[in-house]
Amino acid sequence: MSNATLERTRPRGRGAPPGAETAPRRRRNGWWLLLAPILAFDVVLFLTPLGKLVGASFADNAYQRVLEDPLVVRALVNTLTISLASTIVTVVLGYIIAMVLWRAGTVTRVILFAVVLLPFWTGILVKNFAWAVLLQDNGIVNAFLQGIGLTGAPIPLLHNRFAVIVGMVHCLLPYAVFPIFSSLASIDDRLGLAARSLGAREGSVFRRITLPLSMPGISAAGLLVFIISTGFFITPVVMGGPGDMMIANQIDYYARQLTDFSGAAALAVILTVMVSILVAVYQRVLKAGGQHEDN
Amino acid sequence: MTASVISAESIPGTGRAAQGAIELRQVSKHYGDVVAVDELDLTVQPGEFVTLLGPSGSGKTTTMMMVAGFEEHTAGTVLIDGRPVDSLPPRDRNLGVVFQNYALFPHMSALENVEFALRMRKVPRPERRQRAEEALDRVGLGKMGGRKPRQLSGGQQQRVALARALVFNPAALLLDEPMAALDKRLREQMQEEIKTLQKGLGISVLFVTHDQDEAMAMSDRIVVMKDGKIVQSGPPEEVYNHPLTDWVASFLGDTNLIPCTIVERNGEEAVVDLGGLGLAKVRDRGASGENYAVSIRPEHLKFRTRAAAGNGCAATLVSSTNLGATVRHRLTAGGHELQLRELSSDRGTRILPDEELWVGWDADKAQLLVLES
Repeated sequence: MSNATLERTRPRGRGAPPGAETAPRRRRNGWWLLLAPILAFDVVLFLTPLGKLVGASFADNAYQRVLEDPLVVRALVNTLTISLASTIVTVVLGYIIAMVLWRAGTVTRVILFAVVLLPFWTGILVKNFAWAVLLQDNGIVNAFLQGIGLTGAPIPLLHNRFAVIVGMVHCLLPYAVFPIFSSLASIDDRLGLAARSLGAREGSVFRRITLPLSMPGISAAGLLVFIISTGFFITPVVMGGPGDMMIANQIDYYARQLTDFSGAAALAVILTVMVSILVAVYQRVLKAGGQHEDN
Repeated sequence: MTASVISAESIPGTGRAAQGAIELRQVSKHYGDVVAVDELDLTVQPGEFVTLLGPSGSGKTTTMMMVAGFEEHTAGTVLIDGRPVDSLPPRDRNLGVVFQNYALFPHMSALENVEFALRMRKVPRPERRQRAEEALDRVGLGKMGGRKPRQLSGGQQQRVALARALVFNPAALLLDEPMAALDKRLREQMQEEIKTLQKGLGISVLFVTHDQDEAMAMSDRIVVMKDGKIVQSGPPEEVYNHPLTDWVASFLGDTNLIPCTIVERNGEEAVVDLGGLGLAKVRDRGASGENYAVSIRPEHLKFRTRAAAGNGCAATLVSSTNLGATVRHRLTAGGHELQLRELSSDRGTRILPDEELWVGWDADKAQLLVLES
C-alpha cells in the first residue's frame, strides 16, 4: 500500500516533469579533452621511446646474445633474490613501524611520520654513502661492536649482499609503511575491544583480527616494494661487491661500456617481462587466497 | 507481521543459575581535570534489565566501559557476582558486550564470529560448531551462518552480535546503544526481541542509551545520568511520571512545568500555589531545593467540565495540531503556556481558538519537583 502511494506521489512531490529522471545520465561530450595533455605527453615521451626500445631489442640476435652471457644470468638471479630478501625485510620492519604509528598518540605519531618520511626527502646517493660510512671497517658500527667486545677485529659489513639489502631496505621502508599504516588505520578499534571481551589475549587479537584485516596493506606494500627493488642501480654499485650486481647494472654495462644498445634494450625488456609475470602470479595467488577465505 | 524471530524457549540448557549481579561502589573516572564519572553507586540485580539513560557526555558509556574493563576507573570498586574485578582484564570478566556498530569481525562468517569466544576458550571444534549454530538458531539466523557480516542486513548483524555475546553464557550482557543504527520500525522490533531473549535467559543486562523511548520500552529500571552523576533511578513509569527535577522531566519527554511555591507538605502529598492557576494538590517525593515547579505531562492534562472535582483551571486554546495518533493543543492559562495531548480518537467536538475551556488533572499525575535551571 505504502509503496504504491510513494510511487504515485514521488514525481509530483519533486515537481519534476516526466522524463526528468534521465537528465543526470545525459552524456557530456568532450570529457576526453581533459586527458589530452597527459596522453600527448605519454605518447611522445614514453610510448614512442618504449616502442623504439622494444624494436631495437629484436635486432642483432640480442636476446640470445645477452642470455648466453653468464654475467647477465648471474645478475638476473641476483635481482630476484636481492629484491625478494629486501621486500621481506622491508615489509616486516614496515609493519612494525606502522603498528607503532597506529598505536602512538598524536604528537608521537607526527614525529614518527617525519622520521619515516626523512629517507623520502633524501637523495638515494646521499643515503647509500651515509650507510657506507657507517658500515666501513673503521666505521661507527664496527667501532661499537669492538667497543662492547663482541668482535675482536672489524667484520666485513660493506661491499657484500648484506650491505646492499641494508641500503635498499632503508630506501624502501616508506613504501611499505604507508600502505600498511593506512590499512591498519581503517580497522575499527572496537573490533579489538570486542575480541578482548570475548576472551582473546593480545596475541590472539593480533593473529586473528589485526593481521588478517591488514593483509590488503601487506600485499600492496609487498608488490610495490618488490617492483621498485628490481630497478635498483646505485645501491649495488655503492654498497655491493662484484658479485652483487643487479640487472640495472648490466643494462648500464651493455649501454655504456659495450655500447651494445640492442643488448641493453633486450635486458630491459627481459626485466620488464619477468617482473610482469611475477606480479601476475602474485596477484593470482592473492586472489585465490582471498576466495579460499570466503568459502 | 513483526513476529518475533528470537525465541528464548527453544534454547537448550537455558536453566542458568541466577547470577550476574553487577555492583559499582563509589566508582569515578577522571580524564586529567575532567570528571567523566563521579562517585557512582549502581547495582544491577541478577536478571534485572537496567538502563543508563543520559545525553552524550553524561558518562553512561564510560560507566559501561569500566564495567567491561576497557576503561580503568580512577577510584572505587566494580564487583561482578560479589567479586571485585578491578584488576581483571576484559577477557576474564565473562561479560557479553554488544557495541554500537556491532563490531563484527568483517573477515569472518557469522558462524565464525559466534564461534570466536568458544575458540578463545579452547572448546573442541565439534562442540564449538554445535553451540555456535544453536546460538545463531536462537536469534533466527540458523541458515545465515556462512554469510559475511557485509552480506547481512543491519538487523541481522545485530542478531549475530547478540548471539556472539551470549554463546559463552556470560554473567551479564552489556549493550552500548545497540539500536542506534537501525531504522525506527526495526528498532522497535529488536527492542521486543531483545527483551524476550533477556527474559527467557534470565540474564542481567546493563543497557546504555540516550533514547528515552527505548529506555521506557525495555527497562526494569532506568538510571538517569547527567554530568557523570545519577540524577534519578527507578522503574520507567515512576521516573517518567514522578521526575525529581525539571531536567529529568524534560529529558524523558514533553512536560508542562509550572513554577510554584509550597504551601504545605504532608509526606506523599503537598499543597502548592501555582500563581495564576491557584492552589493545587500535587504528589511530593520530598525533593528539596531553592525553587520548585510542578510537572504535568501533556497527556495527563484533560479537558473537563467546570463542575468536575479536583485540580483544574480555566484556559484559552491557542492552536491545535494533529500529529496522527494524537492531537496537541496549545493553551494559555493563568499566564502560563500549557500543552495538552489527547488521542485523536478521543477528540470530541472541534474546539476553536479563543474559546474558553476548563482543563484539569489528577493530583497523583502532578509532580512537585526541584527547578534546577
